[in-house]
Amino acid sequence: MIRLVRELYQYRGLLISLVQRELKARYRGSFLGFLWTFLNPTLHMLVYVLLFTVVMRQNIPNFPFFMFVGLLPWIWFSTSVGGGASAISDRRDLLTKVRFPAQVLPTSVVVTNLCNFVLSLPLMLVLGMAYGQWPTWHVVLFPVVVLIQLTFTLALTYILAAINVTFRDLQHIVSNLLTLWFFATPVLYPLSTIQDESARSLMLALNPMVSLMTSYQAIFYEHRLPDAGPLMTLAAVSVVLLWGASSIFESRREEFAESI
Amino acid sequence: MPESMDAIILKDVVKSFRKRTIRGEYTTFKSELLRWLRGKRQSRDASLITALRGINLTVPMGKTVGIIGRNGSGKSTLLKLITGIYTPTSGDLRINGRISALLDLGAGFHPDFSGRENILINGIILGMTRAEVRARMDEIIAFSELGEFIDEPVRTYSSGMYMRLAFAVATHVDPDILIIDEILAVGDEHFSKKSLAKMMDFKRQGKTIVLVTHDLSTVERWCDLAAWIDGGYIRRVGKPSEVTAEYREAISLAEAQSAAFTPPALTEGGGALPQVPSESLPAEGPVRIHRVQLLDARGESLEVLSPEEGLEVRADFSVEGPCEDVDFHVRLQAADGRTLYETSTRREAVVLSRMPNQGVLRFVVERLGALGGDYSLVVSARASKGESSGRCAFRVVSATEEEGVFRPPHRWLVEPGADSQAGVPFEPGTSPRVEVG
Repeated sequence: MIRLVRELYQYRGLLISLVQRELKARYRGSFLGFLWTFLNPTLHMLVYVLLFTVVMRQNIPNFPFFMFVGLLPWIWFSTSVGGGASAISDRRDLLTKVRFPAQVLPTSVVVTNLCNFVLSLPLMLVLGMAYGQWPTWHVVLFPVVVLIQLTFTLALTYILAAINVTFRDLQHIVSNLLTLWFFATPVLYPLSTIQDESARSLMLALNPMVSLMTSYQAIFYEHRLPDAGPLMTLAAVSVVLLWGASSIFESRREEFAESI
Repeated sequence: MPESMDAIILKDVVKSFRKRTIRGEYTTFKSELLRWLRGKRQSRDASLITALRGINLTVPMGKTVGIIGRNGSGKSTLLKLITGIYTPTSGDLRINGRISALLDLGAGFHPDFSGRENILINGIILGMTRAEVRARMDEIIAFSELGEFIDEPVRTYSSGMYMRLAFAVATHVDPDILIIDEILAVGDEHFSKKSLAKMMDFKRQGKTIVLVTHDLSTVERWCDLAAWIDGGYIRRVGKPSEVTAEYREAISLAEAQSAAFTPPALTEGGGALPQVPSESLPAEGPVRIHRVQLLDARGESLEVLSPEEGLEVRADFSVEGPCEDVDFHVRLQAADGRTLYETSTRREAVVLSRMPNQGVLRFVVERLGALGGDYSLVVSARASKGESSGRCAFRVVSATEEEGVFRPPHRWLVEPGADSQAGVPFEPGTSPRVEVG
């Protein structure tokens, strides 16, 4: 894992330029250009708002803001994992022609989406202020939660990207599982809507995204500190997972150039 | 310290691939299931393809090495191994210095980005730092000759412009070792000249260059060394002119034998080209040719001569056992393996009585009369029990640009006709006369 991270640091120039390239390329040529960074999550949110305030009424105050708090980190997670799975298998042009550590590719996907996430944060804050929800001092913990999510997402992406090189079905399986995962995570509803105590703790134990989402909601929506226990457990699990992911990745990366 | 003198050292490098990567048999649920049903073990080893069977190659620092060989002989695999994109299956590989590979032009180019933005990305991908690319930006743009187009999206470029931009970036990376795969011929005449000049610059700066190409004349002109890969091995390393001559000969020999040109890696035993009869072949006849030398009129060793010069072919031979029926052949070949002239002692009824145990065969040519180009001379001793032969390559350099196969001895005369009433009388002896030679 240390080698993996060290190489990433050595090739940070490449990583940065790949991320820049992705960020710039995404909306290049479209009329609204960079505005789409804000428009996409907003429209995404509006669809759900329409669904849950008109069609299926929910009794949550400031529902659009609540949903936005969870939706933005979820979009970061799901686009990273979904795109990261094929990060290596899609970049045949680079991997077979130029020598560089392969982990740069999945990392650049995750970091690109992190940038999009961070860039759309002001939108969330503005929406909160419109509902009278000003950020409180609790936001100091926000970077910690982001760091834990980054570790977890990187670990998952490395594993998926490495396996997808030889087992291409994975990328399709992942994109479908992500839909299921989304509804199993309290983004559109608060965790408290699940009445059964044991079902709730089971969800918390099985789904790492639950404690992340509730932490974001705690910081921005409920203005309190996130629950330390589940979050710290997840932090430890993420580090172990990243360690495991990097050994899987390193054991397979010599095959990458030949297999894709 | 020999390590510091050599830029690239390969020792017994073997590289095998799983067959699916060559034949496109991807791992699918169906194939996995079938394999499992058939018994998993059996096919694992059989589906390996060995592209390189044991490469030994040392590239000294500051030399330009040309790698030649047929399609599919493993040249690109070798480059990818040297570059570090592939790892060898077994064997030892050592690189001294920063390496830069131009295996593909325009890696990471994005069609929607301007030329300038793509220079930055491509340069970083090729191993430069952001600051290095920025510092060389103007130089690169000037080299690419794109002018105002540099700020247009790359998708609007013609393919020539695209390649020029990509090549400009690639050659402004500043490596110790440069790996080039068949990309020298980029753009029009003017640009490829410029590219070659850039290559010469690299050479002059003492950089090591490894070059894969099918253009043999490039190898002969620019390289210090040539390595010929055939059947997964290095078949020959040496002076470019000699290696390319033997390569051409082997190709024409294979064509003559109508050997199937299948990809060597897929062929049993490596699919090597037929052996060119050469000094390295074990001789089986009673008369063995040991060495073939070319000498000039003063008896000095010769490699380059002019069409009007004479030469002497000298072949050292030894005799074991009775050899009444020995017949010495001398054959002059063009670079592509065509026989230009062949004769033998029997055809010319030369009496070879009482052969010594050790001897020298001398074949004296008063005047060669060949045109400029590369040639080789093959001397062989044929007997009913076997044949032995040796060869040597040489080059003819001609000051005149002629065409054809040979230069007959000639001179030019222009004289007035018998019934000429022309005002300008031609004095015999002062007629305009041109002699070539």
